[in-house]
Amino acid sequence: MRKILAVAFKELYVTFRDRNLILLMFATPLVLSTIIGMAFGGGGGDSELPDFADITVAVVNLDEGVDLQETLNLPDQFPNQGAGPTDPAALLPPLPDGAALNFGDQLAAILLSQPVESPGTTATQEFDLSELECSLLDESESAGTAAAAPLGSLDDLLDATAMDTAEQARAAVDSGEFAAAVIIPPGFSSHVMPPFAFDAGFIPRVQPAGEEGTVEVYASGGLPISASIVHSVVVGIVNQFVRVGVALGATLETSVEALVSGIVRGEIDLNSVDLSALSTDLQNLDAAALGPLGCLITPGANNVSAAQQPLAAIQEAPPFSRIIVPTGASQAVFFALFTGVFGIQSIYQERRNWTLQRMIVSPTPRIFLLIGKLLGNLVIVFLQILILLAALTLIASLVIGQPTLIWGTNIAAILVVTLALSLCVTGLGVFVVGLAKTPEQVNLFGPMINISLAVLGGAFGFALPDQAARFSLIYWGVDAFTLLANAQTGFALNLLVLFGQGILLFLLGARLFKRRLNL
Amino acid sequence: MQTMVETRNLRKTYSRPDGSTIEAVKGVNLEIRQGEIFSLLGPNGAGKTTTISMISGLVEPTEGDATIGGHSITKEPMAAKRLMGFVPQEIALYPELSARQNLSFFGRMYGLGGKALNRRVDELIEFVDLADRQNDRIDTFSGGMKRRINLAAGLLNSPPLIYMDEPTVGIDPQSRRRILDTVKLLRDEQDMTVLYTTHLMEEAQELSDRVAIIDHGEIIAMGTQDELTQQVGEEDRLEFTIGEQEIAETQFERLQQKTPGVTRVLYNPTEQLSDDSSESLPALLTVFAKRGRTALPQILQDLDSAGVEIQSVAVREPDLEAVFLALTGRALRD
Repeated sequence: MRKILAVAFKELYVTFRDRNLILLMFATPLVLSTIIGMAFGGGGGDSELPDFADITVAVVNLDEGVDLQETLNLPDQFPNQGAGPTDPAALLPPLPDGAALNFGDQLAAILLSQPVESPGTTATQEFDLSELECSLLDESESAGTAAAAPLGSLDDLLDATAMDTAEQARAAVDSGEFAAAVIIPPGFSSHVMPPFAFDAGFIPRVQPAGEEGTVEVYASGGLPISASIVHSVVVGIVNQFVRVGVALGATLETSVEALVSGIVRGEIDLNSVDLSALSTDLQNLDAAALGPLGCLITPGANNVSAAQQPLAAIQEAPPFSRIIVPTGASQAVFFALFTGVFGIQSIYQERRNWTLQRMIVSPTPRIFLLIGKLLGNLVIVFLQILILLAALTLIASLVIGQPTLIWGTNIAAILVVTLALSLCVTGLGVFVVGLAKTPEQVNLFGPMINISLAVLGGAFGFALPDQAARFSLIYWGVDAFTLLANAQTGFALNLLVLFGQGILLFLLGARLFKRRLNL
Repeated sequence: MQTMVETRNLRKTYSRPDGSTIEAVKGVNLEIRQGEIFSLLGPNGAGKTTTISMISGLVEPTEGDATIGGHSITKEPMAAKRLMGFVPQEIALYPELSARQNLSFFGRMYGLGGKALNRRVDELIEFVDLADRQNDRIDTFSGGMKRRINLAAGLLNSPPLIYMDEPTVGIDPQSRRRILDTVKLLRDEQDMTVLYTTHLMEEAQELSDRVAIIDHGEIIAMGTQDELTQQVGEEDRLEFTIGEQEIAETQFERLQQKTPGVTRVLYNPTEQLSDDSSESLPALLTVFAKRGRTALPQILQDLDSAGVEIQSVAVREPDLEAVFLALTGRALRD
């Protein structure tokens, strides 16, 4: 054991005596992270919104709306029912032409901070969705919502401009004029509220929506954070529409099913139904009747603001911290990857200098040399990441002007995540060096693999889809650090992935690497 | 005298990328006695380092075995390695570490620790006379000083046997003299067995109790210097440097047949040092003759009459170089 520790300590000592290596390991990621933090996060400690205010967004609404008459076309729903007293199709009055609901208009209006209006659910009377009130909210909650409005107000957050075509909007984003474009497709409303039909037993079934109606957020690669915010806002609002659609659908399904069942079982005396009055009532349906839906759709109420809640939580941290956490973490891991590969690669240097041979000639089992070298490298990577995190904390505190624990206060969790990352990074280094046949191959493949992982993991400032990013250990590490920074838990999966990947690579790599000790 | 190192049919074969094999060492059998300096003499690429690497456990033999103090290097490697020290041809030290740190680290690899380690490091630093530089980084040392620390690192475990693989390569004459004296001191004062490889005949001649001459992976002669020189008789060797002249084969034959005392003539024509070098090694005419000094005037006269322009001449008494030349037809430097 003493020999293993001697080898590990020697690795540590030799590494930290190399000034060039220190420069690469620490100075470069620190300088890069700080520059990015200063550039995108500002220098001050102001925790208010202006850093992310007025994000430029192009809004294109191509939505054709959903025709309620088609959706609810009852004669088509019951083609086998003949006319007669029990004909369900005859029970409801035909809906007037143009009874359309356009969710695209509403989404665009919300983004553009315009009054939310609808052409109405009936042809005779329009109603303004903005007038809907949520009776489920008491006054204090409403007040709280109002008080939070300045933080979460879309009007402050977004500087939206309506555009006519998707191509025009995308081109504007490409040119850097806008951070993102929100393109609402023609079938958006149909997507939110798909048609439904009755099966043979008169049970209503909603037809599954296709993919063609999804809203596109075309984001600028140069403004990933702003684009990400726009994306989150749109997702939040669209989710509300989906909930409205589901609620409406469920209400209609239940009502029609109850009505039809009642007629079929003879529980409803059709003679006592005043169809004329019912028709009038339906046509006079107003906002008051749809009051409960206000809880789902009223902007600024709990549901919409819920979608913005994570944004507000993140923005409790100073802007510099918000930027330096993911940037610094990804840079720390990215540069640690190089330490991992080139630290292990020093075996070739030792072989060339004959220090490896001198160790092998001593009465020390080769496996001790291997373990010592790998342990040393693991500790080096661990210390590198830890020192970088500490240095970034110091820099952030200096920039913000007060001591700020940018990585959160859960020190034990930070250490565990760092250890898991170190194991993974070292394991990868061992694997790459073990796989390569020559130092030249390591010099070629090592940086290639590291840069690929950095691109996948978002270390270069632009984020790939999560499905791709998950292939990179940088993603899992940065995600865990970001969760810790936001005082959130739920990084168990990250730890599992990092430890699992690390152990697997370590074992595979050690098996391959052992060959390097055979002279 | 007790046997310290014994090798039996030690063989090493390497595979080439094209699938063919090359036999670097072809069944070497050695027996090195305790307390002697045993030199393995041969030109570069003869198989000296491969042989010593197999004996020290650095490289696994393809065939055969070696025992150190009775312990097989393949079956009981740890026991065998405890008995040996190793001084490689390269400066096997960490340039970023000081002399003391290097010795301390390698001392730990031999199981030393605490005060015993410190004491041994102190002794060795004194032994190689570098106490005043012990805390300086190795990369600030001169070549000779590095060699001395390299030697000290091989002595950390006070081994009864030490391997030295061309330990004087690339150093100044003063440092070289110091190392050669140290090697003799180890044998004479510490009764250490030294296995010494070199391609320099003078070193082998000065140091060795016994010598094995190795060429193309084979031991071609082994014994004391006297035993080896007897193999080439009592002939003196007359070396004539003759520049870049072309000499006909018939003239050598005439010299060998007509000049009294001359037994053999070898001619090494001019060779360029390298493809891109304009410098050439001078052509060397070696004449073996009994009572060389007596025969010299006649030889000079014959060469002169043959039109050979002589630049210099040296008369050498029988030595290991002559043995190598006699056995292989080549000089060690070739």
